[in-house]
Amino acid sequence: MWYVFLLPTLLGILFFTVYPLLESLRLSFTRGVEERFVGTDNYTDVLTSDTFWYAVYNTLYITIFQLIFAIPLGFVLACLINSLRRSSHFFKVLFYIPNTTSMVAAATVFVAILHPDGPLNYALELLGMEKVVWLSQPVSAKWGAIILSVWHWLGFVIIICLANLQAIPIEYYEASSIDGATRLQQWWFITIPNMLGSLALLCILGWIGGLQRFADVFMLGGLQGSPARSLHTVVGFIFERGFGGNEYGIASAAAYILFLVILVFTYFNIKLLRMKI
Amino acid sequence: MLSSTKRDAATKAVITILLAAIGCIMIYPFLWMISVSLERTANVALPFPPRFIPELFSWFNYGLVFENNALFLAYGNSTFLACVHVAMSIASALLGGYAFSRGSFKGKRILYIAVLATMMIPFETRLIPMFTMFNDLGLINTKYPLILPSIIDALGLVLAKQYFDQLPEGLRESAKMDGAGEFKTYFFIFVPLTGPITATLAILAFQESWNSFIWPLVVINDQHLKTVPLFLSSFSAENGDRLAGVTMALTAMSIMPILLVFIFFQKYIIRSVALSGLKGE
Repeated sequence: MWYVFLLPTLLGILFFTVYPLLESLRLSFTRGVEERFVGTDNYTDVLTSDTFWYAVYNTLYITIFQLIFAIPLGFVLACLINSLRRSSHFFKVLFYIPNTTSMVAAATVFVAILHPDGPLNYALELLGMEKVVWLSQPVSAKWGAIILSVWHWLGFVIIICLANLQAIPIEYYEASSIDGATRLQQWWFITIPNMLGSLALLCILGWIGGLQRFADVFMLGGLQGSPARSLHTVVGFIFERGFGGNEYGIASAAAYILFLVILVFTYFNIKLLRMKI
Repeated sequence: MLSSTKRDAATKAVITILLAAIGCIMIYPFLWMISVSLERTANVALPFPPRFIPELFSWFNYGLVFENNALFLAYGNSTFLACVHVAMSIASALLGGYAFSRGSFKGKRILYIAVLATMMIPFETRLIPMFTMFNDLGLINTKYPLILPSIIDALGLVLAKQYFDQLPEGLRESAKMDGAGEFKTYFFIFVPLTGPITATLAILAFQESWNSFIWPLVVINDQHLKTVPLFLSSFSAENGDRLAGVTMALTAMSIMPILLVFIFFQKYIIRSVALSGLKGE
């Protein structure tokens, strides 16, 4: 009886989660169209491939800096927005707009923003700095991707921080101001400790999302993550090997490695949520 | 010395100005996109030095965008897929959430853990078998691979379960006493009460479907089936940084509807996003 209620979900899980997961595991031990069993060869190949490790490095590099910039900046902006009464909703909406747009559209605009003759370089020149040909050097291309992802993700960070800020009991602030605490002291001793849960949550969500980075770097750097594979990410590796080269075995092995890494972080995420609930 | 209310007002003014300045930077890419798209000279290359007010104002680029119906077609596809995705994922999430909230059946705990576990599996791990499965069924380049997987919505199910959990149990008992069966109770007593959570699920599902990229990229090549992100991606891949004006006009037109939807429903959308983020993605 109750199983009828669950039928759509269970069928979906069976066909679109359990089966693909097992099939992916099987494929990761095979090679070629004839799906010849090769043991752990695919895993060894992936783990000894320079291209794969470079993709891992790029993924981590872009994601770490995305988090380092977006989370503190978003947190501070959320605190500032929260301190305003009247216009706080306006700013909330304003800062969230980039996050509503698809990454593909955002990246298309950023290809132009990062263009050698684009506004970012123009601003740099006005500030007396040198022009950067963003998407033609490995390091600057990664920084282009970081700027894009911070811009796109900032609104999400602000929304999560604001939701938590508004949940901090106002009595804490009232009691401390009776004791003569300054605004800055209140921020340091009340706001920040109460926000640690949300900030950790954002770190983990951002990290899991960052490991799955694809659309933005694909738009900026194409299938191979040009220039010089500097925008090639782990998902890009899976995509290129799987659909560019029809190497399902290699791609599945890489996908399983990604899965195991993400599993660890999701485990922490669930622990964290349990802790909060 | 300033009185504390005056100082407060001054601080607020400074904060407002600061936020406005940063807000301008956040919104600048969109404004610049519109400015480039309206510039006649930007049809081939970017205008240099970057300027805000077009030198030669013209709708030329928009004319090109609307010249063939490709963009409208992509819109139609995206809209259709988003609606089906929303309907299917809400239906399955509410049904499943209700069962896990009110039902008592064998294996409930295990099945609920199984649902939660699906949230841990990244889509990329399932990507290749999902592709080969639909390929074997001959369904590549049809709408089915984009429609069918939307039946699982684990986060939606969890949110729906938590929503049902807080509805009073008395509702069910009185319906039972009136002789209503489980399905009747669900459809006539509980579903009508799910307005707020349905809105949240709809918003999240719509955003997910509308912005999805890698899966449509894998299963759709046909020009007639392309969604808006696919259409935009293939256009900019073909043209690189030439045709800057047309690309920007196209991007502007691709963003416009979602921006309008956002402006109308911002309160609900922001609340849904906050809820989904705090409950775990």
